[in-house]
Amino acid sequence: MMQKLRQSGTLLGFVLILLFFALKLPDTFLTARNLINISQQLSMLAVVATTMTIVMVMNDFDLSVGSMASLSGIVAAMIFTAGYPVWVGLSAALLVGVLGGLFNGFLVSVVGILPFVATLGTLTVFSGMAFLLSDGKTVFGRDIPASFSGFARAGIEIGDIKIPMLTITAGLVIFICWCILEHTNFGRRLYAIGGNKEASHLAGIKVVRLRLYAFSLTGLGAAGAGLMYAARVASANPTQGSGLMLDAIAAVFLGMTMSRRGEPKVIYTLVGVLILGVLDNGMTQLRVDSYVREILVGLIVLAAVAVASLSKLRQA
Amino acid sequence: MSKAFGGFPALADVTLNLSSGRVHALMGENGAGKSTLIKLIAGVLKPDSISVTKDGSPLPLNDAQDAHKAGFRFIHQELNIVPQVSVAENILLGRDLPRRFGFAVDWNKVKTQAEEALAFLGATHVDVTLPAGDLPAGDKMMMKIAAALVSADQNEPVLYVLDEPTAALTGEESEMLFDVIERLKAKGTAILYVSHRIDEILRICDDITVLRDGEFVSKNEISKTSKVDIIQAMTGRDFKDAYPKREVPIGIDTIASLENVDTSNLQNLNFELRAGEILGVSGLAEAGQTQLLKLFMGLGKVKSGAASFLDEELPRSPSDAWARSVAYIPRERRGEALCLDMSVRANIVLPHLSDYGFYAKPWLENKDALEFGGKVQLKSSGSTQPVGQLSGGNQQKIVFARAIQGNPKLLLLDEPTRGVDIGAKYDIYLLVRELSANGCAVILTSTDLPEVLGMCDRVLVMQEGRQAHLLERGEMTSADLLSHFFNNNDAA
Ligand SMILES: Nc1ncnc2c1ncn2[C@@H]1O[C@H](COP(=O)(O)OP(=O)(O)OP(=O)(O)O)[C@@H](O)[C@H]1O
Ligand SMILES: [Mg+2]
Repeated sequence: MMQKLRQSGTLLGFVLILLFFALKLPDTFLTARNLINISQQLSMLAVVATTMTIVMVMNDFDLSVGSMASLSGIVAAMIFTAGYPVWVGLSAALLVGVLGGLFNGFLVSVVGILPFVATLGTLTVFSGMAFLLSDGKTVFGRDIPASFSGFARAGIEIGDIKIPMLTITAGLVIFICWCILEHTNFGRRLYAIGGNKEASHLAGIKVVRLRLYAFSLTGLGAAGAGLMYAARVASANPTQGSGLMLDAIAAVFLGMTMSRRGEPKVIYTLVGVLILGVLDNGMTQLRVDSYVREILVGLIVLAAVAVASLSKLRQA
Repeated sequence: MSKAFGGFPALADVTLNLSSGRVHALMGENGAGKSTLIKLIAGVLKPDSISVTKDGSPLPLNDAQDAHKAGFRFIHQELNIVPQVSVAENILLGRDLPRRFGFAVDWNKVKTQAEEALAFLGATHVDVTLPAGDLPAGDKMMMKIAAALVSADQNEPVLYVLDEPTAALTGEESEMLFDVIERLKAKGTAILYVSHRIDEILRICDDITVLRDGEFVSKNEISKTSKVDIIQAMTGRDFKDAYPKREVPIGIDTIASLENVDTSNLQNLNFELRAGEILGVSGLAEAGQTQLLKLFMGLGKVKSGAASFLDEELPRSPSDAWARSVAYIPRERRGEALCLDMSVRANIVLPHLSDYGFYAKPWLENKDALEFGGKVQLKSSGSTQPVGQLSGGNQQKIVFARAIQGNPKLLLLDEPTRGVDIGAKYDIYLLVRELSANGCAVILTSTDLPEVLGMCDRVLVMQEGRQAHLLERGEMTSADLLSHFFNNNDAA
């Protein structure tokens, strides 16, 4: 009973938020146009949060995703500026993501530094590298090829609705992460590592190696989100990804309040992302001050997590 | 008292009478409800109904504080220690630490108080400044017992409750505990004692209550009952408390051989293990038994000498070991073997995930979990129940089910029947015999000497990390074996 309440509480809150905005903004909120708009605004966060779920399943963390997103945008933009074709820039940026993730994984699982500390360190390293490469300036205008920024404006038309490519990309990433975590034995092993590292090791699971892989996937996701962001705003600057990290972790936490044993799950992370995105969109339309918005979002996350942990206590 | 979990009764209207100066045994199969009953009197689990009377007057019992105030002290089945903190602080946990000038903790006093408590037990060898997590299993239990004994506060304990305290203790350590129980008894405290080792129950207890499937079955004075009666009451059927005999001779193929092997913590290892052979490893507490098993899991380095497993070198890592058909039951099920929040199914198939290919196959996992769970007489409400909700003995059966899946060639058993009831123990022994008949070699270490003697063909005795003797089982008795733990010249 308590369990059901805990699990559905967050979902109920989501529905209430939707109802609230639907009533307050009858003409603009629940329109196809606005919903598509939300989905596009959300696509970067969705990619970072779902790939973040992969490490959080193991009870690990990656604080460096935001600065990795900035760095990947800058890397791609610098390569475009140097006159290379688009695919070279994209591959290089994604490669940087994988390598950065591997480096995180190396620090955490081979060297044995706590994920919080290790990725806090790489957060500044990646961020510094982004500044260094770009000389602290925003890259924009003719340096960004149209075929790159055009991607963010393109979409697939179904009837008179146009589904943006960014939304589709995010959907694909979510689907892949969901498959990996829920339907492969790789995912099963990650959950086991989260359950008990020592026991997993003794049961023959290659804990060190899997943690490396998981971190590199998270790095790859962050880099991908950085590219999506750069395409959307047709420019790259060394701080543009910095908001993503906190939101992504908040989304995973919100999601964890909905799962049966409090473990992170891709589907629930997605709900967490939607909650944050809808709040943001609705409050912007209601012209709520952006600082007030931040306070509210923080309080909502705290409330959800607090209710979940209290009801867990009661249950024991 | 009564308690149900999700509508399923774990304890149905059970009554228990405890008198001062008497040791009361509580027995029943795995999952019978013993630990649940104890958690109800401890106030750590919310009862559906309970009424407690002490000296003729009703006693309110709503939470753990009430139980403590009433003078009840507990040692629960699952050790809850704080591993990073020193032994001394663990012993004094939850009490006001002695202060200097009213605020600064007086660490010297903390140390002496903890040492006194351990000395009362006779465990003077424990270093109270070590982090508790670094203690060997037996010493951890000693520490917990000492913690329950410390009662610097106003109210004198009137009842001690011990839930399977000897499951991880060596014979010698158990004796220390029995000695303490005698002394507490003489002081007039009541003791409630849970164990699956019938012989010790017969020896130290005065009364017995038996539970079956959460219901009261019988109550008697120990002197008026017998082993056969108790087993009959527990299981509802007749049962012989024995070890199945070897029926198939030992094979000729060599599974493993060690010649003059030294590792970083073991010396002088010399033995050959044949297909189907069951080798016991025995010795005083922490003489290197666990390390010897871990060597075959790739968790030790051969420094000198020749070691081989199936004509190749020893496994390099646990994953290599499982891949080469070595199965392992570690000593501490909760710390080293189980993911408590995860399902029965996920825990059983964990080491065998690669057998299912790249994509997860839940239906196959389910089938295997049911099959191997059934073989070890697992009692759970289904393959998706989290193992943390199972009774202690059933958690142990999960670890065993995992080990026998996938037909191992070498089975490493560290205290395999810890906390398992007699009936299920016998079934586990039958399974070991069956594996051995199919050519699986077994290395078994246990603090239960009759178990070692009942199952093994040879016994390797270790002393301080060194192989001291390699004895034929023959007509050896527990006393004979015990004498080899101390003497140095090889009589065999
Ligand atoms: N938190 C829980 N949720 C659901 N069921 C539970 C929970 N705790 C215990 N149970 C169930 O209650 C029953 C009694 O368990 P209990 O731990 O009291 O057994 P026990 O007699 O101590 O067994 P053992 O000898 O194995 O320690 C078991 O069937 C167990 O699965
Ligand atoms: Mg129990």
